[in-house]
Amino acid sequence: MMPTSDNTGRRVMVLYMGTGLALTASMMFAGLMLRASQAGWMPMSPGQFYAVLTLHGAVVIVALMLCGMGGLWFLMRRQTSLSVAAAVIAYACIAAGAAAVIAATLFGGFAGLYTFLAPLPFHGSWPYWSTGAFLIGMTLITIGWMAWCMQMLGAVLRAYGGALGALAWDFVWHRKAFDASGKPLPPPEAFPALMAGFDGMLAGMSAMLLGVALIVRWLDARVLINPLWAKNLTYFFAHTYANLIIYMLAALIYVGLPYATGRKYHTSAALVVGWWCSMVLTLTNYFHHLYMDFVQPGPFQYLGELSSYLSAVPVTVVTIFSALMLVWRSGMKWTLGAIFMYTGLIGWVVGGIGAEIDATVPFNVHLHNTLWVPAHFHTYLVGGCVLFAVGWVFLCLESRSIRRTRILVRWVVGLLTFGGMAVFLMGFYCAGAYGVPRRYAIEPAPGPELAKIASIGAAVMIIGFALAFAEGVRLRFGYPEGEATIRMTQEVEA
Amino acid sequence: MSVAVKLLVMFLVFAGAAITIFLAVAYSTHLPVSEQHDVQQRGYAIRGRWFLALVLFLIASFAISIPFYPYMSAPAALAPARKVPVIAEQYAFIMASHLPVDKPIIFEVTSRDVNHDFGIYNPRGHLIAQVQAMPDYTNYLRVIFHKPGQYTARCLEYCGIGHAIMAKTFTVGGKQ
Repeated sequence: MMPTSDNTGRRVMVLYMGTGLALTASMMFAGLMLRASQAGWMPMSPGQFYAVLTLHGAVVIVALMLCGMGGLWFLMRRQTSLSVAAAVIAYACIAAGAAAVIAATLFGGFAGLYTFLAPLPFHGSWPYWSTGAFLIGMTLITIGWMAWCMQMLGAVLRAYGGALGALAWDFVWHRKAFDASGKPLPPPEAFPALMAGFDGMLAGMSAMLLGVALIVRWLDARVLINPLWAKNLTYFFAHTYANLIIYMLAALIYVGLPYATGRKYHTSAALVVGWWCSMVLTLTNYFHHLYMDFVQPGPFQYLGELSSYLSAVPVTVVTIFSALMLVWRSGMKWTLGAIFMYTGLIGWVVGGIGAEIDATVPFNVHLHNTLWVPAHFHTYLVGGCVLFAVGWVFLCLESRSIRRTRILVRWVVGLLTFGGMAVFLMGFYCAGAYGVPRRYAIEPAPGPELAKIASIGAAVMIIGFALAFAEGVRLRFGYPEGEATIRMTQEVEA
Repeated sequence: MSVAVKLLVMFLVFAGAAITIFLAVAYSTHLPVSEQHDVQQRGYAIRGRWFLALVLFLIASFAISIPFYPYMSAPAALAPARKVPVIAEQYAFIMASHLPVDKPIIFEVTSRDVNHDFGIYNPRGHLIAQVQAMPDYTNYLRVIFHKPGQYTARCLEYCGIGHAIMAKTFTVGGKQ
């Protein structure tokens, strides 16, 4: 077992999560600029708009991925052998890739979007070098991600006795023999780690295959790439990345909520089977991105809808339900950490409802590529992932600081953040319901009017997060002198 | 009320129900504390029922949705219909400007350059049908326009910096 006073591990977590949250904050401003531009309040040329949109999408995914990677790496280092050097190398690859993406979009004007559906990157008005810089940047990010996944997967497999041990196979099917064997049972957070390692490797391989093909096409225009093949690979890796982000951050719930409620959370058969299902379903539900590609083989469309539906089962029946049981009549103190983490669960569920509606083929006809799509993924990215990461940071701060957040501050932060977020998100949902297309620099009515309301909501939400940041800094300066351990992890360990 | 607005109402109902449950659980932290064991005993019983209800609901929803899939069946593809080629390119749709009312139309949609999406908005601005326009492939979209008027096709797949201006209006009924 790793010591809980693992300052090195904590520093790696701070490096990953600090970078991730800083990038997320800057991309919130970029997103606000985009909505303000659609509202007609901030003049941007279409070229500028789409370059910033490309930047916004790519960097947010990388930023939240870093948050999940850092948090999960820290948690798993308490149980397994994880190399700091390997984590720093993975981080360096991702940082270099992100820098290339930022250069390609901000200085090169690359506007092929973060989905860069082939052959669009080669049919734009941006310079040739920026296409290459963007593709190389995304490939570097994938290399860093795969290095992290490989490290995590290897560590989990070594720690729990191979694939069957990490999957807790015998724990589910041969309980008595497992109990008698004395083998270690993976804790709840080991399952998102296993899933991120395994599914992340598969998604990374898909991204590498596509990335290399596109780089070859960039070097030699005679190379032909099948657009349906490219689209399948794109959505397979992109959807899997997006899903893994929230599953990685869900690991923080497994440790954070028991700490906040003073209750225990153990591995159960239901939890194990739930994670088995999530591991499989996450790989198959990307097909819902291709419903409107009628040339896609028919069985994939049926599989996409069924798989998307069923992926809600393990999430709501296991993770969410267990979280609610932890909180129910627990006497939990509503610190900012607890508030953010608990509200993140709401964002996850509400975003999931929006996603399930969109994942229904006959409904998708009316919602596909309207603003309904960013509505639901912003709900679980901003209202779920960001809140889990921020909540975790606050739980860490609150566990060490001698200062406490005043109730008025908690109310103000909560009202501004969640009130602004609700208005911002409803701007997307309503626009989607009125058929306003996504990714329009200039939207048809009622898009601009709704963008005005959404911009105000986004600005209020950012003010709320800024106040939370200020409060976080205040708590950080309230650490007792000479303290070198993380009290929260010690308590959880105990 | 368009289909999409009905979906928004459905979303708000489900989301409202979920938020209410979360608020109730949050409120319970102000009630006397229960032992975790007691909470789990009752909670697991509820969870079993929730699991069954959710799985049944989702599988039933899946089964009900299948007849409404927009993909053309073999008989529909062979049935008489007006074939309308649609060629998408940055940033225009090349297609007929007048189409008949109450007659089956099969749009044969392809692209000359990048991925586009052929989304049809009715005269009230409701998105009623769509299909991707892909290079190297032809997608077939079957539509029957029941109401005459001016319709608009918009590109719904990001295709470059002129994406937002890629639209084509056509009339249904009237002069052919």
